[in-house]
Order: sequence, then structure tokens, then C-alpha cells
Amino acid sequence: MKQRPKILLVDDDADLVAVMRGALESKAYEVIVAYNGQEGLEKAKKEKPDLVVLDILMPVADGFTFADQFRKEPSLAKVPVLALTGFSESLGQPFAFEVSEYISKPIKPKDLVVKVEEFLKKTESQG
Amino acid sequence: MNSTYSEEGKAADYPPEQRALLLRLRVYINLRWLTILAIIIATIVASTLFHISFPTLPVYIICAIIATYNFLFFHLTRRLEKQEPDLVVRRAEAYSYTQVILDSAILTLLLHYTGGLENPFIFLYIIHTNAAAIFLPKRRVYELTTLAMMMVTGLVLAEYFGIIPHVNLGGFVLPFRYLDLSRIVAVLVALATLAYATVYVATSIVGELRRRQREVVALKDKLLEQRAKELEQISAEVVKLVDERRHFVRFLSVVAHDLQSPLVATQSLLSYILDGYTGEITEGQKDLMHRGIRRIDGLLTLITDLLDIPRIEAGEVKREMREIYLNDIIKQAMDGLDSLAKQKGLELKVELPESYSKVYASGRRLQQVITNLTSNSINYTRDGVVLVRASEGDEDVRIEVIDTGIGIPPDDLPRLFEDFFRGSNVGAKGTGLGLSISKRIIEAHGGKIWAESPAPETGKGSKFTFTLPKAGVAVKESEPKTYKG
Repeated sequence: MKQRPKILLVDDDADLVAVMRGALESKAYEVIVAYNGQEGLEKAKKEKPDLVVLDILMPVADGFTFADQFRKEPSLAKVPVLALTGFSESLGQPFAFEVSEYISKPIKPKDLVVKVEEFLKKTESQG
Repeated sequence: MNSTYSEEGKAADYPPEQRALLLRLRVYINLRWLTILAIIIATIVASTLFHISFPTLPVYIICAIIATYNFLFFHLTRRLEKQEPDLVVRRAEAYSYTQVILDSAILTLLLHYTGGLENPFIFLYIIHTNAAAIFLPKRRVYELTTLAMMMVTGLVLAEYFGIIPHVNLGGFVLPFRYLDLSRIVAVLVALATLAYATVYVATSIVGELRRRQREVVALKDKLLEQRAKELEQISAEVVKLVDERRHFVRFLSVVAHDLQSPLVATQSLLSYILDGYTGEITEGQKDLMHRGIRRIDGLLTLITDLLDIPRIEAGEVKREMREIYLNDIIKQAMDGLDSLAKQKGLELKVELPESYSKVYASGRRLQQVITNLTSNSINYTRDGVVLVRASEGDEDVRIEVIDTGIGIPPDDLPRLFEDFFRGSNVGAKGTGLGLSISKRIIEAHGGKIWAESPAPETGKGSKFTFTLPKAGVAVKESEPKTYKG
């Protein structure tokens, strides 16, 4: 990671996005936000983030579809995705796509930051 | 209602009457055997016991003739039973008429050789004509009766006019009685009246019976039709209901999401403040915010539980079932609960069988149940041990969760698995839905779940047990068997 790591947040709940952004920016990460899958894809292509935090349960262009398309994009295929799963689905469903990790809502901002840090360290060491 | 067998042989009212045809023919033949026997006995009794003299040889010869053609019809009828239905009806009719006419002729011949007008048994023609009334259509019966009456009259008159010789019943009736015109008229008129009257009664009764029979058949058909229509209606309704339920469950999922999202967002906002991102907060503020978060937790759990129930009842659990290894599920559940137990200073023990039991189940749902039972045990135990034990039987596996906790009052035991039931010896923690949902899940798997308190092993606390059918075993109720492991 040369400069500040860039993180893309994709979630349709504005309050959650505000909370996550505040927490991540306090750790000096650069944060880009998108409120639906479509927007998320566009911003991902444009900004090339180092990590994507994705809400799976968004109704419009939902998370699964986003991730699917995301993986098809050659420039984005290797970017790790941290999935936000719903309250009751955490024990759930097999993920149909490659999500590298997941964290279940409700999210404690501290936990999110810790997870993101772990993640970025892992990808850094893997090169 | 005149004839049940029309002249053209139409198969209008078949099966019950057709089946009866063959039966009747058989009965007729049997009756004839009886008749032969009766004639022989009567002859013997008359000549030896009462010393009435008349030539008995002709009588026996006639009996032989009757026997012969009865035998013939017996075989013909037997052959008929193996034929096509249409053929059966027409042939049976032909046999009936033939037999009946033959019988009339033979009867008349017999009468001649047993005294003609003198024989009181002349009235037995009635039996003959009435028997026909039961077997033949109404019009034929009257024709037959008339034929019989004509034969008798012919015989009596022929003897009267000397065309044929008269046989006298010696020692019974004076030899010239047959020439007594008044007697002839009296007997013949009495016979005819009796014959037609009884035939009328018999045919009326038979006609009525046949009519009723046909009504019953028609009614039965109508009922069957009605029933079929009702069934159709009901299955259409069932299909609609199943569809509606599916829609409802989908609706509930949306409802769940919409109810949970703002709560989840609120919790995250509170956590954000608590984690210090907006600056210092006082202990008092921290405390109140924690309370808020806890209340929201409770509400989130309630919403999830409430929405789970219709999902489970709509068969969601069954759809998730596949072959899985029980030990893996239990281990997964224990991972989460380990820390909970440590926090309370309790020991969480797990005993798993060496054999890797496979069950046909929904992994996530089983984990839900095990977690529910185990966390209950942990929550309601002040100190000691919570033991989770799995064992394998012949047809099912058994999982037990035993604790040394506060136990369950005997009054509560039967109501434990009811919706919203909360124990009487605990504070108002939890929604009261955990056990009822667990019960639904286990029963959807074809298993059983029950509780005992105090636990038989320790004499205190509680023991929850549930069974699951093993993979490959047909899902059915099983009695407790011996368990290894």
C-alpha cells in the first residue's frame, strides 16, 4: 500500500454509511461511498479501491449481483470483498460468489475497523 | 315400468341385473333338483304310506327327464359364466324362457300321470308361475301364466272328452270325479284366479324392488359425481392457499428486512458514539446508550423469531435439509458458546460419539436449536457444568443438553415448548419463542424434543433431549432404543 488505502463502501443505508465512513476515516483511510450496486460498480471501476465493504442485502442491484459483476471485471477481480450480512442470515447461506470475509450487522464501528485492518494486512502480505 | 330386458336386447340397466341373471339361473336349476326330490318323496309317501294306487313308473321316468334337461342347463349355464357380458344377457334370457316353457309342459305331463283334476297338487302351478315372476319381466310372466293355465285346462278337458285316458288315484278319489263338470270349472277357476292374483302381487313387488335398485344406483352415481366435483374444488382451494402462503412468507421477509434495517442502523449509530468517535462521553451517557442497544437487541431477536415461525411452518426447514455430519454442527455451535460459558465461570463439556453420524437435516437450523438449548442452560446455571452429549442409536441420533442450574418447576414442564412461554422462576429474559421454535425445527426434521427436570444424571438442573432420524432412515416416529457412545 503506497499511499492511504482506498476503501469502497457499498450500502443503501445512509446512516450506516456515515458511521462506517467516520470510523474508517479516523484511521486515515480514504473512503469512497456508493448507495447501490450500480453506483458501486461504476465507482469501483473508476477509483480502483484496495478493499470493498459490501452490503449483501441491498434491494436495488443487490449485493450478490454487484459482486458477480465485480468479479467479471478483470481489473477488480483480485480486490478483496468484506460482506455485510444481515442480522439473521449470518449463519447462513452459502455465498454464491467469492466473498473473502464477512461481518454481520449490527456493526460495531470498532469491530469494522479491526476487520478492515486485518484484511488489508493479509492482502499486503500476500502481495 | 314394464320390461327390464327390452326385446331388442338393449343393455340399458345392466350391471346389477346382469349379475343377478346368472345367479337366478343357478337358483332355478337348484330349485329343480329340489322339485324332483319332492316329487319322488311325494310319490313314495302316497303309494306306500297312504296306499294310493297309480302307476308310478311314468312319474319316475318324468323325473328322469327333468333331471336330464336340468343337467343340460347346468352345464350350459356354467359355460355362460365365462362369456362376454352382452352374450351372457341374451343367452341367459333364452335359457330362462326355454326352461320355463319346458317346465310348464313337463308339469302338465306329470299332472296327467298323477291324477289330473283329482290331484290337489294341481295348485302347485302357482309356485311355478310365481318363481317365474321373480326371474322374468312382467309381461313374460303373464304370458307364461296364461300358457300354464291353457295347458292345464287343455289337459283336464282332453281327459273329460276322452281324447286321452285319465289316470285315477286309486284309494284317494272316486274314479269318475274327473267327469264332474262343476268340479272341473270350480278347480280351474280357483286355480286361474289364484295364479293371476299371486302373479300380480309378485310382479308388483319385484317391479318395485327393481325400481328401487335402479334409484339407488342412480343416486350413487350422482353422489360420486358430486364428490368428484367437491374434491376438485377443494384441491383448487388448497393450491390457492399454498400459493398465498408462499406469497405471505415472501412478504414477511420484506417486512423483516424493513423492520430490522432501521434498528440495525440505530444500533450502529449508538455504537459509534460509544466507541468514542464523537468525543468523550460520560459514564452515565455510556450506561444509557448500552441500555438502548440492549433493548434494540431484544427487539431484533423478537422480530427474527417471529418471522421464523411462519417460515418454518411453510416448509422452509425441509427445503434446507441435506446429508450432514452431526459432529461438525455441534462443534460449530460450541465455538460461539465457549466464551459465554467462561464469562459465567461455567464449564462447557462436549461428548461426541466416535462414529461420524450422518443426519439428513438443515445445518443452520440444527445449530440454531443446539445454540438455543445450550445458551438457555448457560443462562440458567449459576455454577457447575453444562454438558452437551450426542449418541447414536440404531435408527436415530440423540443429543442431550444437561445442566446443574436452577431447573424447571414441575408445573412449567408441560408448557415449556409453548409460544411465548416464560418460566415462572426466571426474570423476564428472552422472547419465550426460543423453545417453541426449536420444537418446530426438530419436528420438521421428523424428530422429538423433550425436557426433564431435575436431570436424572445429576439430580438437579435440567436436561433437554432431542432425537433426529439418521440419514437413510425413513422419517417416522421412533421409540427410545439402546444407545451406544
